[in-house]
Amino acid sequence: MHPWAAVSVQAAMLGTSQPEPSRRPLMVVAATTLATAAGIGWLLQRAWKPKGDINHRAAQALGAGAAILCASVALDSALEHYRGEFKNRAMFVGPTVAFLGLGAATYIAFRPDRVKDQLPRIALIAVGATGLIGIGFHTYNILKRPGELDALNLFYAAPVGAPAALTLAGLYGLIAGELLDGSSAIRTQLPKLTAGLIAFSLLGTAAEAGLLHFRGAFQDPAMYAPVTIPPLAAVAVGAAALSPRAALVAEPLLKATAVLGIAGPIFHAYGIHRNMGGWHNWSQMILQGPPLPAPPAFLGIAAAGIGLLPALQGREQ
Amino acid sequence: MSEFQTPYPSYDVLDKWDSPSWNDQTRETVARRLDEVPKREFLTAKQWSLLEAISARLMPQPDREEPVPIVPWIDDRLNKDRRPGYRYAGMPPMREAWARGLNAIAAECTDRFGKPFEELSSEEQDTYLTDLQNGEVSDRFWGDMPVQCFFSELLLKDVLEIYYSHPVAWSEIGFGGPASPRGYVRTGFDERDPWEAEPADV
Repeated sequence: MHPWAAVSVQAAMLGTSQPEPSRRPLMVVAATTLATAAGIGWLLQRAWKPKGDINHRAAQALGAGAAILCASVALDSALEHYRGEFKNRAMFVGPTVAFLGLGAATYIAFRPDRVKDQLPRIALIAVGATGLIGIGFHTYNILKRPGELDALNLFYAAPVGAPAALTLAGLYGLIAGELLDGSSAIRTQLPKLTAGLIAFSLLGTAAEAGLLHFRGAFQDPAMYAPVTIPPLAAVAVGAAALSPRAALVAEPLLKATAVLGIAGPIFHAYGIHRNMGGWHNWSQMILQGPPLPAPPAFLGIAAAGIGLLPALQGREQ
Repeated sequence: MSEFQTPYPSYDVLDKWDSPSWNDQTRETVARRLDEVPKREFLTAKQWSLLEAISARLMPQPDREEPVPIVPWIDDRLNKDRRPGYRYAGMPPMREAWARGLNAIAAECTDRFGKPFEELSSEEQDTYLTDLQNGEVSDRFWGDMPVQCFFSELLLKDVLEIYYSHPVAWSEIGFGGPASPRGYVRTGFDERDPWEAEPADV
């Protein structure tokens, strides 16, 4: 027997916290994770009590989606900018504004009728604009490196698509206001346009996950999930904008996407465990392993989408 | 050379002993390196003292009360015949190369200076080692040995390799030991992970 094999057998017998050398536990981990995530998702949905007509409920869902997006961006950008040592002072802006957006969007999730107030409105516009400026900064960061737009820089430089999540969050919040207070023409057209925006959001986030999971060589089969289910959900939501009947297909797909958004951090925690040193080496691996706070972006977008579907179909509950 | 000042005066890599940076494998290996310095087995007493004198010039450690042991580990390598897995063209096998090389140095110095290398002044020792590096030695003592290759690839490299395998040398250059289990995240210029050594003047 190879001496290393002896070591791993010994470690297994002693029950030490060595990461598993094989893929065998993946099925169990994946099943448990998805079941747990589905359970959490079910509890969240039960706890979520939107009020009023379909547009009011859609507005609340958009606010909640924006809040989840902002939470994900705030934690993820704080972590990644810390990794980048906040070398540029502007790197404080992303996480700070995302926290601001989290506050504003949470407020709107419960009081969508107040979007048109000055303070939440300014906050949402600032959040959206920060996202656009962030894309500019990240693009500059990529292009200033040798090789410019090559795969290496797309993988390892500032992620070009990430700040867009803030812009989406800002837009969701502003749309929530229009759904309630806009002219009647706006209020009938807006759900369809918003469905398009949700589809775009899903595709963009799936592209980001796809890029980074490709970087990670799709070494765990579960890494294919966020590049298959959300794009299907995007197609279904897009179709629902054109034909309300497609909403019947969109709903389960959006729910599956939401489950992925909850399951993601659990999968990523497991990914950290499988990295060199595992959780014992957390100070390196929360930075270098899979990002814990990133996947809930899917939950945010899906939550907004699920809440929007009744408005698309024009059905009152 | 003795003017060298470490940029990391307050850094001791051994402080990482119980941190997530080190695991059992690292601790075991480093403990062996610190505590189990091998006794002389392969080299003759003369070759040993000559090699001590040479390594004191190649890697001087004047300020150190307990110098990093170098010769014992070369002797250990030769005793166990642990070769690197390759050999330079024209170079005899490892054990033979070292024996022939050290004997040639001893004989040539006695011939040239009238006394053994160990008894030469530091300047004379450096002069001879520089000649060795440049291949300016006599075939009478060296025969067909590729002299420059012996100096640069065996003598110098092994001395430095063993010196920089020691935690004291790691602390001196701010090295953290094996990049396993904890490696490096911030790898660009002027970037430093919190668990890396911090230079004093920053």
